[in-house]
Amino acid sequence: MRHSWWRWLLGVIAVLVIFLPSVGWMQQRITQYKTNYRTPLNPTIMVPGSSASQNRFDTLITQLRKETKASHSVLKVKVAENGQISYTGSIRQGDNQPFIVIAFENNRDGYENINKQAKWLSLAIKDLVKTYHFNHFSALGHSNGGLILSLFLEKDFPQIKHVAIDKLMTIATPYNMESDSTTTRTAILKELVAGRSNLPKKLTVYSVAGTENYSSDGTVPANSVNQGKYVFQNQVAHYTQITVTGDDTTHSDLPQNKQIVLLIRQYLLQENLPAKDRYQRPSKNQQRSITGETGLP
Amino acid sequence: MGRWQPLRGLWRINQRMEQWRAMRAIKEALRVAYPFILVMTLVDVVGQSFLASSGFFYQIYHIGSWLPGIDLWQQFFQALSLVVNGVVAVIVAFTTGHYLARTYRGDALAVGVMSALAFLSLNVNYDMLGMPNSESEGMSLFVENNLGPQGIFLAIVVGLAVGWLGSHLMASLTNWQQRHPRFGQMSWASRVAWPTIFVLIITVALGYGFSWFTDGGMNDLVYQALSAVVVNPGHRGFMILGITTLSNILWWLGFIGPVSLAGNSSVTSLQNLAYAVQHGSGWDAPNAVTLHTLGDAYANFGGAGMTLALLIAIGLVSKQASYRRVAGQTFLPNLVNLNEPTLLGLPVLYNPILLIPFLVAPAVNIVLAWFAITWKLVPPIVYPVPRTTPGPLIAFLGTGGDWRALLLSLVCLTISVLIYIPFVRLLNHEGGEDHAA
Repeated sequence: MRHSWWRWLLGVIAVLVIFLPSVGWMQQRITQYKTNYRTPLNPTIMVPGSSASQNRFDTLITQLRKETKASHSVLKVKVAENGQISYTGSIRQGDNQPFIVIAFENNRDGYENINKQAKWLSLAIKDLVKTYHFNHFSALGHSNGGLILSLFLEKDFPQIKHVAIDKLMTIATPYNMESDSTTTRTAILKELVAGRSNLPKKLTVYSVAGTENYSSDGTVPANSVNQGKYVFQNQVAHYTQITVTGDDTTHSDLPQNKQIVLLIRQYLLQENLPAKDRYQRPSKNQQRSITGETGLP
Repeated sequence: MGRWQPLRGLWRINQRMEQWRAMRAIKEALRVAYPFILVMTLVDVVGQSFLASSGFFYQIYHIGSWLPGIDLWQQFFQALSLVVNGVVAVIVAFTTGHYLARTYRGDALAVGVMSALAFLSLNVNYDMLGMPNSESEGMSLFVENNLGPQGIFLAIVVGLAVGWLGSHLMASLTNWQQRHPRFGQMSWASRVAWPTIFVLIITVALGYGFSWFTDGGMNDLVYQALSAVVVNPGHRGFMILGITTLSNILWWLGFIGPVSLAGNSSVTSLQNLAYAVQHGSGWDAPNAVTLHTLGDAYANFGGAGMTLALLIAIGLVSKQASYRRVAGQTFLPNLVNLNEPTLLGLPVLYNPILLIPFLVAPAVNIVLAWFAITWKLVPPIVYPVPRTTPGPLIAFLGTGGDWRALLLSLVCLTISVLIYIPFVRLLNHEGGEDHAA
C-alpha cells in the first residue's frame, strides 16, 4: 500500500470539511430555534383604566366566554402600593389563552400615578413570566390602562429578556389626557412620544375609539385618542385606528360594546370569525412554523 | 473452507434460489437498470443535498447565499432527476420482462415493451378519465409517484408475469400457426400485437378495478395498507423494532420507502423540540423513545438496512470485483442516505444472504439506542436534521452536539459492519473463482 497515508489524509480532511461546518450550522440552528420558539401559553393581559378594579373586565370576559365557546380561565392580579402582588383566580391547566387582569391598589388618574402604575405593571408581568413561563402575550388596555401599557412597553419591557408582545389593543385611551387640542401636548404624551423608539418593532397596535357625537365618547375626546398616532405610527409594525359608533359607545360601556368584543376576538384572540362578523384585515398574518424550512416533506 | 455451519445452509438456499428463472431475471433486470439509477442518484445527491434548500450541504455551507442563480441550478437538477427518477420503475418492468422472455427464448424486446406498457396501464390515473377538461385542469395522465422508485416491486411483479405470459402467448401463437398452416402465415407484427392486446386488456381491467378502491393506483393500495400499520408505532420499543424490521423487509422486496424518514415533523418530535428549546437540552424529553429517536438516528445510516455499513464491510473484506465497484460508486449517495443504487446494483434486493444482516443490523442498533436512551447514557435527538445528513452525524447534530451520541453512532456503525462482514465474506464464493478480483 504505497499511497495509504495519502488516503488517510484525504479521509481526515473529508471528515473535517463535513464535520466542522456542520457543528457551526447546528449551533446557529439551535439559537434560531430558541429565539423563534413561542410557548403555547399565550395570555391576554388586560389593564383597566383609572378608578377601576380588577373586576372591571368581568362583563367583557363573560361575553367573550359565551361567544367564543372557550372557557378562558381568568387570573386577577392586584398590585399594592408597596409592590406586593396578590392573586385571585387561576390559569387552568391546558388553557393556552387565559386572561390576566392586572389592577392597582392606587388606581387614581394623573401623570404621576400613571407612571407609578406602569412600574407596578412591570413588577406584575415579571412575576407572571417567572411563574407561568410564557414568552409572548397580547395586551388589552381600557382608557388609562392603555397609557399604562404603552409606558410600560417603552420603559421596562425592553429590560425583560425573552418575552415578546404580539398585539396591543387600547380602547378609548386618551393619549393626550383630557385635552381636546391637536397641537399642545400634555406631559404624558410628551413622554410617550419621546420614548417611542423603545417600542417593540414587531408589535401590532389597534387603537379603538368610541364616539357618542362627533368629538367625544362622553369622557375622552376623540382628538386625544387620535394623538396615539404620534406614539405608534412608524414605530411599530402596524398601527390601526378604529372608530366605533352606535349603541353602547359611552366611555365606560366600550369594553362590552358588541363591535369591540368582535374586534377583540378577531385581533387579540385571533379567532376565525364568520365572514359576516369580520372586520377587514389590514394585513395578512403569516404564521411561521418553528421548524422553519428544515422540516421534512 | 471451514465455514460456519448455519452459513453453509444459507449458502445452499442462496444457490438454490440462484437457479430459479425468476431470480435470475430479477438480478439481470436490476443489473441493467443499475447504471441509470446510479446516474439519477448522483444527480439527486447534488440536487437534494447541495442545491435543495432543505439539503444538508446546502445548509452547512450556506450555498444559497453565495452560489449565483441558485433557482436556475435547482430547476436544472430537478428536471434531470425527474427524467430517470420519474420512470425508473418502467425501466425495471421492461428489463425484467425482457430477461424473462430471453430465458424462454421468446422475442425479448417485444415482451419487454409489453411489460412496460402493462405496468403503465396499471398506473393510469383512472380518476382522470371521464372528466371533461381534465387535462386543462392539470390532472396527470399517470399516477406519477408509482413510476418512480416506489413502484419497483410492482414493476418486478408485472415484469415477471408479463414476461412469462407474453413469451408463452407468442410461442403458442407460433406453434398454433405451424400446426394449422391453412390459416396462412402470421406476420411478426401480429404475433406481437395479439398478445399485447390480451395482456393490456387484463392489466387495464385490473387497474380499473383497483381504482375503485384507491386514487393512487394499485401501488397506493399497498402503501396505504402499510402506512396504516406503520404510521404510529408509539413509544413502545418492541413495536418500533417490529415496524423497522417489517419496513426493511419491504425495502428488500422492492417497496421503497413506506416508512419514510419524516420523523422531524411528527407531533412527538415537535414536542421534544419544544421541550429542548425551553430546557436547553433533550434530556428527559417527553417522547424519548420513538421511531425517530431510535430508527432515524441510529439505524438508518445510508438508508434502510444500514447500507453504509454494508459498503464499509465490502470495502474491508469483499473479493468480488463487481461488489467493490458498486460500493465505490454508491458511497457518496449512501453518505446522504440515498441507497437505492446500492440496493439495486449489488443487488441487495432479493438476495437471501444479505437479507439477514439487512434486518439484523438495524434491529441491533435500535436495541442499543433504546437501552442507551432509557438508561440515560445519551439524550434522544430533538433538533430536526436534514434528511440528507450523513448517517453517523444525525444523532450528534440532532442532540445539539452531544459527544456521547456521536460515540454511540460510531459504535452502531462498527457493530453493523461486524454484522455484515461474515455475510459479505460468504458472498465471495459467489460465481466461482472467475468472478473474484
